[in-house]
Amino acid sequence: MEEYVGQLWHKLVTRVADKQHADVAVSLDEISKTAAIFFRALGGDAGLNLSAAPSTRHGARRSWRDRLASSGEQVELSWRDGETLRLPEKIDIFTKRSLNRDLYLWLVALSAANVDDNLPWIVRNQKATQVTLERFPGLLARYRRLVNALLPLRPLPTNLPTAEAAQEAAIRQALIQPGSIHALPPSKKPFQPVLLWTHPTPPLSAASKGSSSDGAPEREQSEDKNVEKSRKKHSAERTDMPDGKDGFLMMFRAESLFSWTEYINVNRPQDEEDDVESAALAAEDMDTMTIARDGETSVAKLRFDLDLPPAGEDDTPLGEGIPLPEWDYKKQIMQPDYCRLQELVSQQAEICELPAQLRRTARCLRSQFQALAPTRTWLKGQQDGEEIDLDAWVRQEADLLSGKHSDSRGMYRAQVNQQRDLACLLLADLSLSTDAYASDHARVIDVIRDSLYLFSEALSATGDRFAMYGFSSLKRGNVRFNRLKSFDDRYDGLARGRIQAIKPGYYTRMGAAIRQASALLAEQPQRQRLLLLLTDGKPNDLDRYEGRYGIEDTRMALHEARQLGLRPFCVTIDREANEYLPHLFGAGGFAVIRKPEDLPKELPLLYAQMTR
Amino acid sequence: MENLPFYQSHGSEIELFERAWRNNLPLLIKGPTGCGKTRFVAHMAAKLCLPLHTVACHDDLTAADLVGRHLIVDGQTVWSDGPLTRAVREGGICYLDEVVEARKDTTVVLHPLADDRRILPIDRTGEILAAPPSFMLVVSYNPGYQNFLKGMKPSTRQRFISLAFDFPSATQEVAILIGETGIDEMLAKRLVSIANAFRALKDHDLEEVASTRLLVYAATLIKDGCEPALACRAALVETLTDDPETAMALREVIDATFGL
Repeated sequence: MEEYVGQLWHKLVTRVADKQHADVAVSLDEISKTAAIFFRALGGDAGLNLSAAPSTRHGARRSWRDRLASSGEQVELSWRDGETLRLPEKIDIFTKRSLNRDLYLWLVALSAANVDDNLPWIVRNQKATQVTLERFPGLLARYRRLVNALLPLRPLPTNLPTAEAAQEAAIRQALIQPGSIHALPPSKKPFQPVLLWTHPTPPLSAASKGSSSDGAPEREQSEDKNVEKSRKKHSAERTDMPDGKDGFLMMFRAESLFSWTEYINVNRPQDEEDDVESAALAAEDMDTMTIARDGETSVAKLRFDLDLPPAGEDDTPLGEGIPLPEWDYKKQIMQPDYCRLQELVSQQAEICELPAQLRRTARCLRSQFQALAPTRTWLKGQQDGEEIDLDAWVRQEADLLSGKHSDSRGMYRAQVNQQRDLACLLLADLSLSTDAYASDHARVIDVIRDSLYLFSEALSATGDRFAMYGFSSLKRGNVRFNRLKSFDDRYDGLARGRIQAIKPGYYTRMGAAIRQASALLAEQPQRQRLLLLLTDGKPNDLDRYEGRYGIEDTRMALHEARQLGLRPFCVTIDREANEYLPHLFGAGGFAVIRKPEDLPKELPLLYAQMTR
Repeated sequence: MENLPFYQSHGSEIELFERAWRNNLPLLIKGPTGCGKTRFVAHMAAKLCLPLHTVACHDDLTAADLVGRHLIVDGQTVWSDGPLTRAVREGGICYLDEVVEARKDTTVVLHPLADDRRILPIDRTGEILAAPPSFMLVVSYNPGYQNFLKGMKPSTRQRFISLAFDFPSATQEVAILIGETGIDEMLAKRLVSIANAFRALKDHDLEEVASTRLLVYAATLIKDGCEPALACRAALVETLTDDPETAMALREVIDATFGL
């Protein structure tokens, strides 16, 4: 009974206090693509990701209704750091949908303005507003509408104590007339957050963790779909790892019931607890997730570092390993010999036939692709062509002389179908993430395996030269480059055996693998050389090779490939690939396969389209 | 001289063109679509008082299409000159537009004409034509928009002196819009600002960016009384992309410039 009354009360007061308008809300998901392009068009850094901002506690005065319902203490504001542009997950503060949408676009425009980050918050935002409105005068009407809608939602200075009133008056003035306020008057109580501006003190984001290159992995590619879906990032703060000897410290404290929200040990890269779901729910509720740096022997570290199989069981290494450079975008330098790439060939591969379930499709593809095989034939009886078709002419003349009716067929011969002068290298991502299930009955790796089979079947029908390699990595010293079929190998039972033997493992150091693949492909004499990358996610590795660092190195590797006269193209099954692939491959330089199980069939067709 | 096609110079390209013409050097002009390559050649042809023979190259263009072929007329075979042969006979500028679109073996017929021999052997008739001093070979192509299976043979490229064109600077582009259509300066500036915002999306969200030609189209529509945002949508947004979400973002940029 007590609980029931409590629930009723909660419903009542939150409804009274709720200033938000769910029916006219605009969510980041529905606007993210538009927002990202808008951001880039207005001059924003093309390398940034778009992500939902975590809500942060603002600490400002709340209305009695809010206090009663204990709501309104958190707010989602936007900000930008070196890797990400963060926007609220949804905007529903205005009563009109168009205004909520306008606010999104305004925040994007404001973030795209290039303003000195070291200016005080209030000056910086006014400056950014001025710069934006000057460059895009059409935004002025929109800005005015937003300010007019926002001001009534803010507390009136007359209702506030003196210091806060002065602050509020300054903010109002700055909103109405950007550039007119040069400093924010001091006040003890924080001011009401300004939704039209960027975050005054952006929290430390999980991505910008600085020099954590040799620490334990803090964030691991999570296979848990539920976790992935939530785009909202938690703001992270760093704290010391508690001394393990005092394991029961928390339990004995009277406040322990509350204190678990302040500290939970989330150092669990593999998410092995049974209770992941409730932990995730708890995490959603928390405003600050405190993550301890645990540089010592954590389970995760042990597991991942010992994961390389003993030499006897591992694939046979070929040669000494190849030193390769890596691009550091922060320093803008190429670090020579930074990675070591080892070419491997599977030991367990046994000669095998094409799996039975693929044979039908393979037969179809073969006959389709034979049509692409080089032929150079003369077509007779054409309306237009290089040579006269003497046969046709003689026949027509003879027909005319003998008084027969002559059909006016073409009288030229034309040559069709030029030589295909083409080499293709397929580079497949074999990282551990391919161990995930792509559909109910197939893992990503199985989909990739089938794709490799069908691709080889199709290409061997055209006679185009091709090679296939797989790659994975474990930090910069161990970039694994599995040879499935080199350009000189025949596509035979052994090559099929190697395809059969591929298995997922480790991480995705894309840059190094692309550099090696480019080098191999560049040796080919063909004039058209296609570098086809098959992947399921972003570049990442245990050390600092993740986020923007990995993306920028990959981008540089692709740039080098283009310089060598190769054409890179990416085929991915990552649904979120639209966020980063345009930056790497350019529009039209990649294809996203929505249903992974379609990949085996789609890949050869894509190839055919590209090279027709 | 009065009806010289409008051309806004952006460097020393006019001087270079004249030097190339005087010294019998063939010229290659490269640059993105709609940046003024063809207009430049037309302008120069008019300026130098030369006839202009233009061939738009395409996939199926054969050497016979350029040089000529035998036709059957009244039971006789008659040789008919192609545009290239005609240009060599008459003198003047032969302009091959988008030359990479033609197959590589086709462009090989240009080789003897493009080096110091300046001859055009016609193997079908056995004739060897020597180009007169007024003949000039000009080819153009768009390096950004290249079919994967196409490209220019290095041996072809190395017979030309090359001029790289790009979109003009903002002030020059404003001048071009005013010169072409006569719209007022404020509008021209806004159009150029939109174009430059779109150009920032090159290689990322858009395969091809807004060309000066498209801006001229937009300006023409506006000059004709069309509402500016509508003109930009028709001339720029829908021309540049088919993707609805990208189009929406581009429209936002236009609204951000012209206001609602």
